[in-house]
Amino acid sequence: MANKNKKTVENFKSESSPPTGIQVVLREFKKDKLAMFSFLGIIALMVAVFVIASWIIDKEAVMKINLIERFTEPGVSGYILGADEAGRDMFGQLIIGAKNSLLIAIAITILANVVGITLGIIMGYYGGFIDNFFMRIIDFFITLPTLMIIIVVVTIVPKYGITELIFIIAAFQWMSTARLVRSKALSEARRDYISASKTMGTSDFAIMFKGLLPNLSSLLIVEVTLNFAGNVGIETGLSFLGFGLPPSTPSLGTLISYAMNPIILSSKWWIWLPASILILVLMLGINYVGQALRRSADAKQRLG
Amino acid sequence: MGFVSTKELLTIRNLRTSFRIKDTFYPAVDDVSLTLRKNEILAIVGESGCGKSTLATSIVGLHNSIHTKVEGEILYNNQNLANLTEVQFNKLRGNDIGFIFQDPLSALNPLMRIGEQIAEGLIYHTKLNKKQREARVLELLEQVGISNASRVANQFPHQLSGGMRQRVMIAIALSGKPAIIVADEPTTALDVTIQAQILDLLKSLQDEIQSGIILITHDLGVVAEIADRVAVMYAGEIIEEAPVIELFRNPKHPYTRSLLNSIPQTHSENEKLEIIQGMVPSLMKLPREGCRFSSRVPWLDESVHEKNPKLHEVGPGHLVRCTCWQHFYFEDKEGSVNG
Ligand SMILES: Nc1ncnc2c1ncn2[C@@H]1O[C@H](COP(=O)(O)OP(=O)(O)OP(=O)(O)O)[C@@H](O)[C@H]1O
Ligand code: SF4
Ligand SMILES: [Mg+2]
Repeated sequence: MANKNKKTVENFKSESSPPTGIQVVLREFKKDKLAMFSFLGIIALMVAVFVIASWIIDKEAVMKINLIERFTEPGVSGYILGADEAGRDMFGQLIIGAKNSLLIAIAITILANVVGITLGIIMGYYGGFIDNFFMRIIDFFITLPTLMIIIVVVTIVPKYGITELIFIIAAFQWMSTARLVRSKALSEARRDYISASKTMGTSDFAIMFKGLLPNLSSLLIVEVTLNFAGNVGIETGLSFLGFGLPPSTPSLGTLISYAMNPIILSSKWWIWLPASILILVLMLGINYVGQALRRSADAKQRLG
Repeated sequence: MGFVSTKELLTIRNLRTSFRIKDTFYPAVDDVSLTLRKNEILAIVGESGCGKSTLATSIVGLHNSIHTKVEGEILYNNQNLANLTEVQFNKLRGNDIGFIFQDPLSALNPLMRIGEQIAEGLIYHTKLNKKQREARVLELLEQVGISNASRVANQFPHQLSGGMRQRVMIAIALSGKPAIIVADEPTTALDVTIQAQILDLLKSLQDEIQSGIILITHDLGVVAEIADRVAVMYAGEIIEEAPVIELFRNPKHPYTRSLLNSIPQTHSENEKLEIIQGMVPSLMKLPREGCRFSSRVPWLDESVHEKNPKLHEVGPGHLVRCTCWQHFYFEDKEGSVNG
């Protein structure tokens, strides 16, 4: 007993510190089995997709038109998930499509968040005129009819592919991040440790990105994760509507859009259903992870 | 007590720092003139809200030029700090001037290791390489009395005790071997025994590095212990300034006297605590002309007040605002501390 007491006192002395960010996140995931499962599942899925798409599947072979094998059913003559109307392997297309969709979503997330976070920190740190100026620009961008502009651009840009799609979507995705980061940076930049850094003669740039940025990290991780889930959805939605990628570049969206053909929708389920399930699983899973992260970033909502 | 040189390190002349509130600038520090000499501890005392921190942050240029106007002269090395640009200031701060904050927990970056935070100034102001900086960090930590320096350098602020954190803050302020150290209530956030240790540390460090220290506090006990000279502030103005012994022996202004009388005296328990009723009015409510102190002494006869009370020299190095303290002297002689 005495021994135990002594130990608690010791612990209290040296480790009376609040748990670090990673410990909190781990605890939250232990409490929330669904988020834990989603996290592991998504990582495994993504790794599998990238490995299979890059090294195992031959893209040329998958996309080769083979009319004899038209609408082969799943499981027949080596087609795990059947074939489409041109006789192309659906499993291969699904994997390549998933890889494209994920890459696009990742690229959009990185691009939009780098812009949003940088701008948000600058606005929050300087405040005043700079803040007001960019706030007006953000307000302007938010009022724009995003979908319409994307559709117009897609229609008029002649050479339209993955890169163009990424830039157009990212152009309308940075504002909410910028606003969120700005509001947090605004309060964080008024803290003493920022002034203390100034009294050391540290430049504004170093203070913003070496001192302040890490202190926003819990917020940023949540924001980036949830944005990522959203961006997987956006690309799919656009492709589904026919404004995303051309059919020659498979993505989850283009695969699902085959369902617009009533015959395929009703009797050729293997063409659109796997892609739909995959996108659903991806978005839900990433969302669960994001929400668990959000809870661990906010002490009031924590489960564990 | 160390030898105070006569050389003036820092000369503040007619400093006025005003904050913008709804498009009007209200002075939180008004017409303050002070000098700091080498190897001297100049204490600035006053109630909460009287502008002590504003004065301190004006010296290190922490004010944002859009919301705050800093006018007057803060002369250091033939430069007027009130007019420096951010880039010029960055050359001075952390090198010539060190700053110690009141609450070390909030003044240390929670996600940066102690060692990195101390090294921050060294990166910008010295040509030391990484190895040399690390060695210097350990040296600084030892200088401020932290024994297991290499361990502490690798820890985060929340892993240290309050006293250790303040020692770290002091190490940071010392890292550039500054000529001037500004300490804004460096002991207020600490408990009493630690306060004494931190004050001892400041005092002994000063003997070592011979810099001038501006020590801001509302604790006259602290002043009595380590200051050489004291300036008493009220509502943004200096109302009395004197060498420390003179101020304690012979306080003139009624406000100073009430501050002195309101130090709890533990040895004579039946002595009454004396305070002047009320508090420093908020910036927008301060009288724009006439004496700012008059609202605290409503019982005084109107004829006693001066229109624009000035500082008068009443003894060597002893300045008092207004001449009417003489009236006071008679009025509350019974409660006087003089004697
Ligand atoms: N950024 C600001 N904007 C507007 N008013 C301010 C600002 N900072 C301080 N003030 C006002 O200026 C006055 C002086 O404040 P200051 O913080 O300098 O007082 P202080 O003497 O340091 O008080 P304390 O002992 O509580 O630290 C107060 O009335 C305060 O409300
Ligand atoms: S007596 Fe002098 S210092 Fe006191 S309130 Fe009147 S004018 Fe001000
Ligand atoms: Mg203060």
